[in-house]
Amino acid sequence: MNSVMSTSSEAAGARAAAGTPPMLAARALTKSFGPVRAVRDVTFEVGAGELVGFLGPNGAGKSTTMKMLTGSLLPDAGRAEVRGLAVDGGARAARAAVGYLPEHTPLYSEMRVTRYLGFVGEVYGLGRSARRDAVERVVDACDLDGYTDRRIRTLSKGYRQRVGLAQALLPDPPALILDEPTSGLDPAEIVRIRDLVVSLAREKTILLSTHVLPEVEEVCRRVLIITGGRLVADGPLEALGEGAGDAVVATVVASEERALELFGAVVNASSPRVVRRGDEGRLTLAFDVEDRFAAAESIARTAADASVVLVELRHEAPTLERVFLERTRAAREAERARPEAPPQ
Amino acid sequence: MMRVLAFARRELRAAFESPVAYVAIGLFVVVLPTLFFFLGYPIGGVPLPGLWEGGQASLIVLFHWIPLLLAFVVPALSMGTWAEERRSGTFELLLTYPVSTAQVALGKFLATTLLAFLMVALAVLAAAGTVAYLGDLDWNTVLGGLAGAALLCAAYVAIAQFLSAVSSEQLVAFLLGALVLGLLWALPLFVRVLPGDLASSAESISPTAHYLGSFARGVLDASDAIYFGLVTIVGLAGGVLMVERGRWAR
Repeated sequence: MNSVMSTSSEAAGARAAAGTPPMLAARALTKSFGPVRAVRDVTFEVGAGELVGFLGPNGAGKSTTMKMLTGSLLPDAGRAEVRGLAVDGGARAARAAVGYLPEHTPLYSEMRVTRYLGFVGEVYGLGRSARRDAVERVVDACDLDGYTDRRIRTLSKGYRQRVGLAQALLPDPPALILDEPTSGLDPAEIVRIRDLVVSLAREKTILLSTHVLPEVEEVCRRVLIITGGRLVADGPLEALGEGAGDAVVATVVASEERALELFGAVVNASSPRVVRRGDEGRLTLAFDVEDRFAAAESIARTAADASVVLVELRHEAPTLERVFLERTRAAREAERARPEAPPQ
Repeated sequence: MMRVLAFARRELRAAFESPVAYVAIGLFVVVLPTLFFFLGYPIGGVPLPGLWEGGQASLIVLFHWIPLLLAFVVPALSMGTWAEERRSGTFELLLTYPVSTAQVALGKFLATTLLAFLMVALAVLAAAGTVAYLGDLDWNTVLGGLAGAALLCAAYVAIAQFLSAVSSEQLVAFLLGALVLGLLWALPLFVRVLPGDLASSAESISPTAHYLGSFARGVLDASDAIYFGLVTIVGLAGGVLMVERGRWAR
């Protein structure tokens, strides 16, 4: 954690040296709802052009943090900033710089798509021709052609989501905050929305919350993990995996009994566990390792010395899912260990 | 101002794209003249006869019904103003737009006030046309009554929208609105049974008295206009405060 935190603080330091405030910043954000402390002392920065994944279990504080960054909720303590400007009730310039897609995509369902988007344009103060151009741009970007005259309530969830994205994009803001944009969509829609987010990330700063971990692995280079209202990880995806437990997977042609006896004492590796029993006597074993190269060499030598056919030997990097589970579990355990921990 | 009008237009379209506006207008255009022509105004110390019975070319009976009918129709038109935004989640998006809550509230207020006034004006003009055909109608009284009705609509809408801002559900907003506006309407009825000071206080805070005492008789009274202006401003400001409180949810 320390190493990954330093990675993001180095980036923050570089920005500070350049004199440019981060696009989005949470500074010791804290928010409670009654006895529940939804967000506690959350601090992070998102620099211009970054696409950052925001992960956490249900009720972890993702949406509350995002709401504070967009100004729809004000923190009890701490400060949310957009381009260095505090986001609060009066900060219109800060709010104008962020397009927001809330969870569950709330829209005026009785309105037709173009009329709704035109309304959003008016709210952002765009003149008639600028509004027309902006609506055309977002209809094109979100692939809404052919649906512009439809009432929003008649659209499928996927298209409603596109309308939600279109309204967030309409004022062409430099930053987007997207709260679970693919939640509840079918696989084809998920891929479309994900592709759209990736294409938008070429020009915009994006903070994206999701439950779909492979999605984050595919599109985000940096990840924030929040659990129990606390930020427990912040860093590049690769760095978060460091120390999270490498594994080496070997497939051999041998009986289970012999393989476990033979590979039970491989150097630099745990005792193997059987992952799969394949055809033609193939057996796949997984080893938790500290030094993957030393472990792989030891496995290969052991197989060769015993004249066991080694069909496959590969390194398995820790998945984001594993990192996520380990971080959230560790945070929960630490929370339980705190004697003064408030009820959740 | 453009942003205020954006919200006003959206509200008006939403009203006309649902049955709400048509039902409200239909109710007024059918019910108000019917009461005026056939029933008269049987409430209060001096019951007023219907047009056929009384035979007077005046709309005073019609104007007497307006505060009571509006006390129920305005909450129906205003109940969704904020409560529905909360239910559907669009409230959250509204708070993230680069507009002030006052601009949003003003847009919503203008739209509903316009709709309520349109409803009243159609009913009044329909009745006025008939009375003018039958007898010698004093159009100045009609215009005074309409001007007062506009102020009455504004004050009622501001109060009902404030109550929508404090309610989490439309039905609660409607019931609260009808209760508060109904009580305000009923205050002059208690004047006879209340002691002197209380009676004059009841009269001075009731919109009914301020409307029927001057505008409905064709008299444009500045103090009554100021009363309606103040009620409207207080209602609007209360609504804005309640909406802003949403950002401080705990």
